[in-house]
Amino acid sequence: MVEVSVRNVKKSFGATEVLRGVDVLVPAGGFAVLVGPSGCGKSTLLRLLAGLEEVSAGTIHFGEREVTHLEPRERDIAMVFQSYALYPHLSVRDNLAFGLRLRKTDDAVIRQRVDEVAGMLGLGALLDRLPKALSGGQRQRVAMGRAIVRRPALFLFDEPLSNLDAALRAQVRVDIRRLHDQLGATSVYVTHDQVEAMTLADVMFVLNRGVVEQAGAPLTVYDAPATRFVAGFLGSPAMNFVQGVIEASGDQLRVRVGVGDESLPIPAGEFTSPALIPGLRVDVGVRPHDLVLAPPGAAAFELSVDYVELLGPEIQAHGALAGAPIVAALETQSNARKGDRIPLSVKRLQLFDAESGRSLR
Amino acid sequence: MTASPPPPPPSATTCPQGQVDPRRTSCPQARATSHAPRRRAPPPRPAPFALLALAFALLLPAGVRADDAVIHLWHAYRGVEEEALAAILDAHRRAGGPRVELLALPYDAFGSKLGAAIPLGEGPDLYIDSHERLGDYQKRGIVAPVADAFEGPAAFFANTIEAVSLGGAPWALPLSQKCVALYINLDLVDAPPATLEGISVLRDSLPPGAFPLVYESQSAYAHAALLGAFGGALLGPGDSFGFVGEPAERSLDLARALIDQRLVPADADGALVTNLFRAGKAAYAISGPWLAADLALAPDLHYRVAPLPAVEAAGGAPMRPLLTVEAVMLSPQGAQRAEVRALARHLASASAAQIRQDRARTLSARADVALPPGDDLLAAFAAQAAVAIPMPSSPAMRATWEPAQRALKKVLRGEASPRDATEGAQRRFDDVRRPPPPAASPTPLLILLGLLSLAGAFALVRRARSGELLPELRRSLPAYRYTAHAVVIVGLLVIAPLLVGAATSLFAGRPQDGLYVGLANFVEILTARGGPLLASGSFYVVLLVTLLWTLTNVIFHLAIGVSLGALLSRPTMRLRGLYRVLLIIPWAVPNYVTALAWKGMFHRQYGAVTGLIEGLNHLFGFNLEPIAWFSRFSTAFAANCATNIWLGFPFMMVVTLGALTGVPADVLEAAEVDGASRWQRLWRVTLPIIRPTLAPAVTLGAIWTFNMFNVVFLVSGGEPDGTTDILVSEAYRWAFTRDAQYGYAAAYAVLIFLMLFAITRLGELRSARRAARDRAAAAQAGAPGGVR
Ligand SMILES: Nc1ncnc2c1ncn2[C@@H]1O[C@H](COP(=O)(O)OP(=O)(O)O)[C@@H](O)[C@H]1O
Ligand SMILES: [Mg+2]
Repeated sequence: MVEVSVRNVKKSFGATEVLRGVDVLVPAGGFAVLVGPSGCGKSTLLRLLAGLEEVSAGTIHFGEREVTHLEPRERDIAMVFQSYALYPHLSVRDNLAFGLRLRKTDDAVIRQRVDEVAGMLGLGALLDRLPKALSGGQRQRVAMGRAIVRRPALFLFDEPLSNLDAALRAQVRVDIRRLHDQLGATSVYVTHDQVEAMTLADVMFVLNRGVVEQAGAPLTVYDAPATRFVAGFLGSPAMNFVQGVIEASGDQLRVRVGVGDESLPIPAGEFTSPALIPGLRVDVGVRPHDLVLAPPGAAAFELSVDYVELLGPEIQAHGALAGAPIVAALETQSNARKGDRIPLSVKRLQLFDAESGRSLR
Repeated sequence: MTASPPPPPPSATTCPQGQVDPRRTSCPQARATSHAPRRRAPPPRPAPFALLALAFALLLPAGVRADDAVIHLWHAYRGVEEEALAAILDAHRRAGGPRVELLALPYDAFGSKLGAAIPLGEGPDLYIDSHERLGDYQKRGIVAPVADAFEGPAAFFANTIEAVSLGGAPWALPLSQKCVALYINLDLVDAPPATLEGISVLRDSLPPGAFPLVYESQSAYAHAALLGAFGGALLGPGDSFGFVGEPAERSLDLARALIDQRLVPADADGALVTNLFRAGKAAYAISGPWLAADLALAPDLHYRVAPLPAVEAAGGAPMRPLLTVEAVMLSPQGAQRAEVRALARHLASASAAQIRQDRARTLSARADVALPPGDDLLAAFAAQAAVAIPMPSSPAMRATWEPAQRALKKVLRGEASPRDATEGAQRRFDDVRRPPPPAASPTPLLILLGLLSLAGAFALVRRARSGELLPELRRSLPAYRYTAHAVVIVGLLVIAPLLVGAATSLFAGRPQDGLYVGLANFVEILTARGGPLLASGSFYVVLLVTLLWTLTNVIFHLAIGVSLGALLSRPTMRLRGLYRVLLIIPWAVPNYVTALAWKGMFHRQYGAVTGLIEGLNHLFGFNLEPIAWFSRFSTAFAANCATNIWLGFPFMMVVTLGALTGVPADVLEAAEVDGASRWQRLWRVTLPIIRPTLAPAVTLGAIWTFNMFNVVFLVSGGEPDGTTDILVSEAYRWAFTRDAQYGYAAAYAVLIFLMLFAITRLGELRSARRAARDRAAAAQAGAPGGVR
């Protein structure tokens, strides 16, 4: 169980800078998730933690110990690969025991630990098979077992669920979190799937183009995204964005959107940025679930529905506002239909500087 | 200087009897030929084309050759000698002679082509070849007596008539003659020595590094001149071994003394003789006309030629070299036709001899053709030829070279006294020449074949009875149509030669000789010819050497190939494309070229390895002796291995590079994270994963190495004393240097085949078992992917 601290780490491959000064702090025993779109540098950061790549600049500490230039085997880590990377020539038992054998662990200890992990993961009946005789889910469990059996101080996961089907993914996700709580080691988990990120993380790091856009507890990040990117990346369906301009209306600020007279009030006290002055061009963000059917007269605007998705527990009504696509997640009872004009009010909105994308909170 | 590509004298070091012999590339005469000045560029005539042409000629229906008016003449001339022949034939045709079709064949292939073509009626009417093959040709019935083509002995030198005579009658018409003589470097000395021993006065007066005399001291062919001075001969009366007894021992004592006193370099081959003399590092050299051709490239060197000196130890008798006579021979068909005999007579005539002498500077076999005035070189060779001893043309001569050579080398290395060495050689000769096993009755074989065909027929009939055969045959007819051509080609190119080879092993000598001996060849081989099973040169010892050879090589091939492959596949390495190309080069160069280069490097006096040792001595003050690589088994074997490892590792490297692309990068990373060092990753992950891919390559490499004739034959040549020979090179010697025991050699080949076949089958069975095990495991796992 160690604290992981990444300080101003940069990484370039040739001329392309993949990580541009990243800071990450994971408390000992915490479960950190690195999340971001494909190609943003998540795996690269994870591989730097593992020691499979050299940093170009910056330092990495595990607790007090600086590990920046140590070999992987000197770091006391275990890693679960996206492809599982099982040793194809070894049986499940030998796959599990491989790392222990390299450490010259006593045979009896190896046997006991392998059996223990096999029991934990339900691999008991598979111990003598080769990886090619296993299903995808079984392989995933062996990969997990191979990491667990070594009892490392730090677990690294690189999209371990992406090769599983949806149902299995949800189940294993829960298993992973449960194992983490049981074992207590620090975990760093990479995914592009924001649901995994939200559900697993103690602390979440949203990466974009090689920088951490925002770090924090999942709900904090969800509720108060620091940038337009984070806001758009988290949440399903994604946040709606409409361009607007700040106006003064008496002693209150409003944001006018679109060409018409539609404007939304800006709740007092919530947006305190000194940049927030009349005339500022902003992006207004509203989560689909924050759009609710308004009683007549109280509506902020009317959405003309051109497409409806029936999901069962809710309806997603698609339309447009001021030229920007809008999705509203409504209760099934609302009965919205294609062609309707439905009055909507805004429960909660976000404002981002149109230029920098930073939140105006 | 001479311009003639000499008729290959059986330069015994390298080209015993001029049989198909890859070492011909290193033969002085081969090089001389390529250096011979020519008025026009010779058409490229690589051997494969000639062979192809011949193959076509043999395949053509006989009707095409029905043009009786044409005379077919085969020869092995090139360059100016070929032009001289054309000029002679032109003159003959202008005088109303018939049309002559010429076919030039590579000298090496000559005998076997004649033997294949003449009995089929597709051969030449007459041909020009070296006289020493006459005995063999006569035995095989492909040469006829010269009859009225011969104008009588008076016009020819007696020596040359003796050379072409068998049982007292001439069987060919002598054209030209060739032997070695003494080359004198006029910059170092001004006259020939009074006696051979007289060269010792030069020891202190010559510049450092120069030898009084160079000759191919380890070659039985060159040594024969010394033996001749003592009245000895390589082949004794009645086809007995001649290199034994007092003359042989005394000639060996003298040869040893010359080397011990450093009057002669210890291990000069033909190329070194040329190089030393041309570089002014030898006062005298013993060599043939081909050296003159090479010296034309060193116009600053002043030299002349004289007959070989007398030998004091032999009571003042002169050295007498072996004489080779180039002669016209008639095939049995050709001899029937008067115009063919007339052409032969014309080829041997004085006017033709004059043309050859003028155009190609050939030393004529005729006494009535005057030497060109002022041509000292030709005059010297003529004087030498007058006292030369015609090479015996008996087929038994072929079996003398190897034992004589080995005895000579043993004595010069100081490993045996002349008496022991020559008596050992005699035993070896007698063993090789011992009468063939008694003819066996072919009845058991015929009965076996009969039973087999009966069983086959029976099985066929049974299947036909059951009513399945015909419909099945009809159903699979289209499939047969697709595979038929492959079956025919594989049958012709693989199965048929295999069967012919196997059949040959049941005969003594050539199968054409018709001496069926059953399994006697195998019995002889497997009982080590009645001697102790572990005697030097016995099948079992050679098999052990072969296995050691294969194992050593394959281990090194694997170790080096896999290491380099692993190194080169590292993505972080710079310039690895370049290294890959460089490392594949040893494989891309034809292996005999490499083998010859390595042999040169291992030369004791002038090789690169010795240069390296001297460099080390010089740099670090070591006192390392240059190693005589080929005089001990261990070093000779090591030299062979070094060469073959160099040749073979790129294959393993390339296979490894291919196999490594099948090792997933993340599996290696997983191992790294699991704590494996670089070495452990290679040993515990990479190698086990690529093993199934490497296994067939290792089998293949083992088979290639097991049969790697070129390296063994060209680098150590079996030295010392045949100990480094492997099974294939041993088989080669039985067929080509030991009295043409093709049946015996074929039996070796069959044994080799059976062993390799068994080993390969075993390997296949093992991998099949492993595959079955894996399949069973997969089946037990149920449908993979189904169970989650
Ligand atoms: N070894 C490499 N050489 C060059 N470019 C690389 C290398 N590894 C990753 N990259 C680049 O770095 C960027 C980030 O990659 P990665 O960390 O794998 O992204 P992801 O967030 O999808 O895991 C990508 O644009 C990728 O092309
Ligand atoms: Mg990735």
